[in-house]
Amino acid sequence: MEYYSPTDLNEAYELLKKFGDTAIPIAGSTFFMGHREELFDEVEAVINIKKLGLGYIKTEDEILKIGATTTLNEIFDHEITSSGVYKIFNETVNELNINEVRNMATIGGEVCIAGEVDMPTTLLAYDANIVIGGSEGTRVVSMADFHIGYLNNALDVTEMVVEVQIPKPPENTAGGFYKFERTAADLPIVNVAVRVSLDDDGICKDVRVVAGAATMSGVPQRSAAAEAVLLNNKINEDLIMQAAEASSDIECIDDFRTPAVVRSLWIKCSVEDALKKALSELDKGE
Amino acid sequence: MKEKTSIIGKSLPLLDGFEKVTGRLKYAGDVPAMPRMHHAKVLRSPYAHAKVVSIDVSKAEALRGVSAVITHMDDITGRKKTCNSPWHDFSFNFRGPMISQEVCYVGDEVAVVSAVDEDVAKEAISLIEVEYEELPAIFDMEESIKPGAPAVRPWGPNALDPSVFSWGDIEQGFGEADYIIENRVTMGNQQHAPLDRNACIANWEGDKVALWTSTQALFWIRDAVTEFFELSPNNVRVHSTPTGGSFGLWWGNNFMFLAVAIARKAKRPVRLVLTRDEVMTTVKRREKPLIDAKIGFKKDGTMVSQSYRHLMDNGAYGNKFDPYQSVADIYTTKHGRVEFIGVATNLLPAGCMRGVGDLTLAYAMEQTIDMAAEKINMDPVEFRLKNHWQSGDICHTSQEVLFAKLLFNKEPEVELTSSGLAECISKGAEKIGWKDKWKGWGKPSSVDGTKLRGVGMGISTHISGLAFFGFNGITLKVNPDGTMVLTTGIGRMGQGGDTTQAMVAAEVMGVELEDINVVDGDTDVVGHTMVTFGSNGMHMVSRATKAAAEHAKEQLLEFAGRELEANPEDLDIKNRRVYVKGSEEIGIELKDLMSKPIYEYLSAPEVIGSASQGVEFHKAGKMMMADFAEVEIDTRTAQMKVIQFVAYHDSGTVVNPAVCENQVAGGYYQSMGLCTTENLVFDEDTGAILNPNFMDYKIMGPLDMPDPEIYFEEVYDEDGPFGAKGIGEGVTCAVPIAISSAVYNALGVRLDPPMTPAKILEALKSKAK
Amino acid sequence: MIQIYLNVNGEECPANVKPHWSLAVVLREQIGLTGTKTGCEMGTCGSCTVLVDGKPIFSCLRMAVDVQDCDIQTIEGIETDDVLHPLQQTFIDDHGMQCGFCTPGMIVAAKALLDKNSDPSEQEVREAIGGHLCRCGTYVRIVRAIMNAAEVMRSKS
Repeated sequence: MEYYSPTDLNEAYELLKKFGDTAIPIAGSTFFMGHREELFDEVEAVINIKKLGLGYIKTEDEILKIGATTTLNEIFDHEITSSGVYKIFNETVNELNINEVRNMATIGGEVCIAGEVDMPTTLLAYDANIVIGGSEGTRVVSMADFHIGYLNNALDVTEMVVEVQIPKPPENTAGGFYKFERTAADLPIVNVAVRVSLDDDGICKDVRVVAGAATMSGVPQRSAAAEAVLLNNKINEDLIMQAAEASSDIECIDDFRTPAVVRSLWIKCSVEDALKKALSELDKGE
Repeated sequence: MKEKTSIIGKSLPLLDGFEKVTGRLKYAGDVPAMPRMHHAKVLRSPYAHAKVVSIDVSKAEALRGVSAVITHMDDITGRKKTCNSPWHDFSFNFRGPMISQEVCYVGDEVAVVSAVDEDVAKEAISLIEVEYEELPAIFDMEESIKPGAPAVRPWGPNALDPSVFSWGDIEQGFGEADYIIENRVTMGNQQHAPLDRNACIANWEGDKVALWTSTQALFWIRDAVTEFFELSPNNVRVHSTPTGGSFGLWWGNNFMFLAVAIARKAKRPVRLVLTRDEVMTTVKRREKPLIDAKIGFKKDGTMVSQSYRHLMDNGAYGNKFDPYQSVADIYTTKHGRVEFIGVATNLLPAGCMRGVGDLTLAYAMEQTIDMAAEKINMDPVEFRLKNHWQSGDICHTSQEVLFAKLLFNKEPEVELTSSGLAECISKGAEKIGWKDKWKGWGKPSSVDGTKLRGVGMGISTHISGLAFFGFNGITLKVNPDGTMVLTTGIGRMGQGGDTTQAMVAAEVMGVELEDINVVDGDTDVVGHTMVTFGSNGMHMVSRATKAAAEHAKEQLLEFAGRELEANPEDLDIKNRRVYVKGSEEIGIELKDLMSKPIYEYLSAPEVIGSASQGVEFHKAGKMMMADFAEVEIDTRTAQMKVIQFVAYHDSGTVVNPAVCENQVAGGYYQSMGLCTTENLVFDEDTGAILNPNFMDYKIMGPLDMPDPEIYFEEVYDEDGPFGAKGIGEGVTCAVPIAISSAVYNALGVRLDPPMTPAKILEALKSKAK
Repeated sequence: MIQIYLNVNGEECPANVKPHWSLAVVLREQIGLTGTKTGCEMGTCGSCTVLVDGKPIFSCLRMAVDVQDCDIQTIEGIETDDVLHPLQQTFIDDHGMQCGFCTPGMIVAAKALLDKNSDPSEQEVREAIGGHLCRCGTYVRIVRAIMNAAEVMRSKS
């Protein structure tokens, strides 16, 4: 096993091309080190990508752009992502009660893992796009298309995530992120992110209700049924409860950690709480 | 009589506090590497029950960097005793071969490798070829005791002979009862889950072996290794380092024997470190109980007869036939019968975990008591106050009685010494506001939207040591400057035992705590000391510590008498100075006394106080506690949270309040884990543990529970040093029932630990029907 | 094997490492600083917390080879010139420990908190140690010791 620490992107892409599926880019290194026993025989090259200048948060052309190696706490602390229209990202990080992991885990890493993590759920609710780089060039894939299955994504073995882009949400948009765990410092058992946009008459013109961590698909999933309840309607408490009930269209994992019946209940409660929170912010004109 | 004290009763800082906060304290895993030291890894069975038909270690032995491999076939003494020979531990927690030819649980040891580093050792493990023949495996206690059930292991029946205690005539008792309540109770599987992983380093020099490991059972390991490897105690030196938490886990454990055996073959020091998964899945867990309880009582709430049958899952190698409990006597009835049966299963061995039978049996009894009180609509506090034991009552089911019968075929009557239980119950009830919150059985104390609150309570007791654990030999040496060295074999598991032993010595000697240096953890240096469990440190070991200090004091006063030309009986020591009682201006500083030459000897004196004594089993107190809980069930999310928790303990004189509060808080958090998220999950087909580490065996963290309110009722115990009893184990015992009872009163459904959201949801659904 | 130099507690420490070796293991076995503990080796207990460029991280999940250019501070570097940090003193005085195994991680995480926030609320203290387990259940006094240390530090400055 060799260790590389490239200082420019092309160097990194060359290494990925050279080593193919025996290379693993690392930033936070929580996933690699947490699984190093299983991965030991498969990995020939560990590529540190923290020196490629991919740690940044900026807005450009009405798009929030976060570099792949930006840590969760950097997102939590940054002015752009902790206030105003993007504060949902600070709120998402706030639900992870392990400060050390917040200092290590990166948005790029979480996007690639997608399973028992929080950020991808919120990114899907905010229509994020993933910028992928490799020796053949750069391409952009939507968050929805990026995730194929549990620990399985759209990256070719010679590619890596370089940036996450979040388009500016429409006026009159608010979001909410809720999570259930077994203890306060835990993997997420269920997480939910919602995004609600109202038109000038207070009608819901765009909505996302996304559940993650609990899904049988292994990746964050939109609840079509919950969204259908809300779209084009004036949202009130009754409608929120209906949407929460409708989120049972999401098929949940049934395992010793928590059975499906409880996960579904928690998705329902999270949807209710997240929608209520988003609505109350919209009511206050935040 | 409570004496006036200047050290006892103060929250003095821990003697090893400085080492702990600076990272200097060395646990077993921190002990520096010795020259030529190799590292060991263990090959473990993937099957719950199988015969090892053949095992080929040739490729492993040939790997560069490997120094030794041992299997069940290896000779360990040079006199044809193989690794497949059994050893057994004095507490009955373990009995079995060191490396078995017939593996009996997933994780059972099959081979051990020592190599230049862990990576090579792991590779060597992967090169060992084993042929297994699977055998039928049993995972359920009731299946295991059925007649004709396949043998769990290659010796003995699946169920040990029951331990039975009976008094009066229970059939007559039940005949006299107005009401009878029957109840069956079980719980999940709890594991000690200490934060430290532990390690054992073993090194042979000729025919002498030394080992370093974190343990509280210094002399048991010495004696067990001595016996198993056919040596003399003079050939075995055990160094015990402090443990990073134990809770009953680190006694004589099989992996320590493996380290000794492989070090002998490798002819070098070998260190065997357990991984996190190995700590949780290959050493020990709490015995899972299956208890049938039956209580008979009168209309007015007087209990008449009680009967309990307590099956305990000993797992593959556990050997307990008594769960170590005293709680079966906590309600005084004329008639009673208690039966304990240790049952083997092809699962991780089970043994003592903090609270033992006084947690499991208390849970079953107390829940049944609740059902009894509910039957006659009596307040649970009142029911307990009406029926609980008093000092002077006979303890029919104590282990003293059991061992007197076993070892001497005698049947003594053992009486309860001191008891503050009544005060713990009534004062605890007041602290939680019981009168206002109690609304009746199965009735919430308050309802707020989807949130239901309920209150509950529970009591229990525990031994403050058992005489049968052995004699204690303690010394106290006085240095030329008046500071002192205390030698003791007490274990350091976080219960502050070295500090509190030193406090006893300091109190007697009239010096400050920081004047005392404690030397522990070396079988060549310290006197035999009871294994530090069953909360014996303060109540029993300290008797010898106090006596050793008194012996040293006697010598000091003798020397001082000469110097001051006074009668030693007229002297005392205070603030590091010997003085004449009544004429305090006449005296001599300890440091002067110890450094000034005496004419007859032309030299300064040496003072060594020592005491070697056992504990008379009639003079053993018991600690008691009453716990009260208010919980809140959110019926929307099926989650339970604690609103308020009150723990009221009678541990006699509280020697160091901060240490004792920490212990009670620790028991609360551990039992809250048992009540909510802690449960080792065994795969129902393979018997493998699905949650072998903290990722999925969830213990309480700093954000999970409100702080407990802790109170002490200090009833002076005449036999305990300065009136003290024990505290360490009892702290978990009454918590689960207080919580379960509160849940019942909030929800109207009785749930057993772990009370998961899944169980709460099901209870809510069943209520809705 | 890669030869590296780690800057630990202000001192340059050489080490020979394989890429997959964690900072925790290298600190303990090669540099001889065993104050940092490895309770779980998978980022679930907090006993391995060290500061890297002032930020608390789990050293069991960080590769040693990956922190060559960083300032690393372990529990051994918390005291300065043989004087205990206020946190270390309050942990002793307030009995913020029992077995002591979680103590180094707790103190290091708390130090990072107090360096950033001199007047934390109790909730903020608990969140700073949110990923730290104490099986002995000493949370009450751990939190108290950290709050008291904050007060001591505020009164000194």
